[in-house]
Amino acid sequence: MESMESLFPVLESKFGVNRDARDKWGLTVVVSADNLHGLVEFLKNDSATQFDMLVDIAGIDYLGYRSALSEREHEGPRFAVKYNFKSMKNPGHRMSVKVLVSEDSLSVPTISDLFEIANWQEREVWDQYGIVFKGHPDLRRLLNHVEFVGHPLRKDYPQQKRQWLSTNDFLLPALEARLETLGYRVIERSKEVEPNPDEFLEGSIKE
Amino acid sequence: MIVLDKDGEKLNLMPLNVGPSHPATHGCLRFLAALDGETIVASVEEIGYLHRGFEKMVERGTWQQVIPYTDRLNYCSAIMNNIAFCRAVEEMYGIEIPERTKVLRVIVNELSRINDHFVCVAAASQDLGGTTAFMYCFNPREMIMCIWEKLTGARLTNSFSRIGGLYRDSYDGFEKDVLEALDATEVALKDWHACMDRNRIFLDRTVGVGKISQEKAISYGWTGPCLRATGVASDLRKDEPYYDYETYDWEVVTGTEGDVNDRLQVRMAEIEESVKIVRQALKRLSPGPVDIVDPRIRIPSHKLAYQDMEALIGRFKGVYEGIRVPEGEHYCGSEVANGELGFTIVSSGSGHPWRIKVRPPCFTQFAAFHDLVEGTQLADSMATLSSLNIIAGELDR
Repeated sequence: MESMESLFPVLESKFGVNRDARDKWGLTVVVSADNLHGLVEFLKNDSATQFDMLVDIAGIDYLGYRSALSEREHEGPRFAVKYNFKSMKNPGHRMSVKVLVSEDSLSVPTISDLFEIANWQEREVWDQYGIVFKGHPDLRRLLNHVEFVGHPLRKDYPQQKRQWLSTNDFLLPALEARLETLGYRVIERSKEVEPNPDEFLEGSIKE
Repeated sequence: MIVLDKDGEKLNLMPLNVGPSHPATHGCLRFLAALDGETIVASVEEIGYLHRGFEKMVERGTWQQVIPYTDRLNYCSAIMNNIAFCRAVEEMYGIEIPERTKVLRVIVNELSRINDHFVCVAAASQDLGGTTAFMYCFNPREMIMCIWEKLTGARLTNSFSRIGGLYRDSYDGFEKDVLEALDATEVALKDWHACMDRNRIFLDRTVGVGKISQEKAISYGWTGPCLRATGVASDLRKDEPYYDYETYDWEVVTGTEGDVNDRLQVRMAEIEESVKIVRQALKRLSPGPVDIVDPRIRIPSHKLAYQDMEALIGRFKGVYEGIRVPEGEHYCGSEVANGELGFTIVSSGSGHPWRIKVRPPCFTQFAAFHDLVEGTQLADSMATLSSLNIIAGELDR
């Protein structure tokens, strides 16, 4: 892991990253949202690092966070997005990148152009925390229902709250978008694409 | 819908909805395919039908109360998930678990892997119309399920691992039962290979179907047998060894093509390797304690609590307030049957987890589904789906 220790000064001078003291077991760097895309691109493609697999993207909400030992409240922006990387070319090498997101901006640049899987993982973070990934091609809900209101993993979302959800995700527009990216051009849409709202919610108790 | 393709030719495509509750969509998955005749031109997926809010629920319990929830992630190899979670928390504590626990966890892990791979291959054979092969795989699985019953009291969602130890030691006759199950496994492997390896119908349906390249699989974050089927020898048990996996004599299995056949064959070959590991582990199993002695991490046993005041206090505080995991943020991934199961854990140092993010292995594999099936026939999508081994419990959490 010597190379991992020598990696940090490079990242510090290039992208102005800080080491995250909260990760005592591995290397996590905190980077500003503006430098995120450049940093990830560097980590992925530079021959010395080669973190070519994006393992996971996790959202974190620090609202009401209080350290049990020092009894200190959390300082700084409310949200964080944490990216975990690993290297396939140097097995056993891992590192994490963290971006702090304030409640006012609520946005992070997308990295879905660098990693295919980031598409779904960013959709999940948006779904659960409401953090917008700027430049994401298709930012829709992923795990929660299409009619769901709110972002359930935020600490201020009540655990027992219930919502009435009645219809499936309407996938035809997404299918058309997929066809367009594959090089097809839709010239006549199915008549179901723009459904009559009354028909669409038939069977629902929604008035 | 009518579309123009790249050469300006007019095509009349039919959007077809598949799932969410179809026998071949294992669990609850749904995709919408644009069909040209029987060929899938484009496909989009929807997941979340089994979303139960795992990550919200675990935040209100104590750290030990997370363990039964992890069983419901991949319910085909439940114990493996709670071992992976316990390992992540134990890494944060920086504790070393007793030797016997390590060996027992290896045995249970590998038996779960055999179980999980058998379910996947059996279901895949069944989806292709081979009920005989399905039964071959389910016979040894039943013997392993009986071991789970004796060991934990439950068949499917059983939790055996605890932070800093195990629920309890193995029962009398455990070794004998395991050896019998391994023998049955080897018989089943032989039968399955005899039935399928040169089976014309099976090969026609699986060879060259649902192919993916190495680069693409890595970009999609694939891990486990699906990635190894493309020829990448990546296995956390070798790359980042834990529980002394590096000291056992076994090989990482890889494929060459990355198609459906390779994914199933890699799983079958991995069962052979797991049998090898379990046989070696049984020889290492020596008597000893299974729990660490620290009431702040592993609550003292009932027996002690009835005799000793400190143990009683430790038990009371451990159950009511929960253990206190050191403050910080940590990611830890373990090799489970489907690939890398990772936990991003945020602890505020209190008795309740602040945030636990699960990295389910089949999430990344299902995200690539449209890439695998576009250009193949509709029936091939079913073969592809079952070879990925999508478990809705961990996909949707």
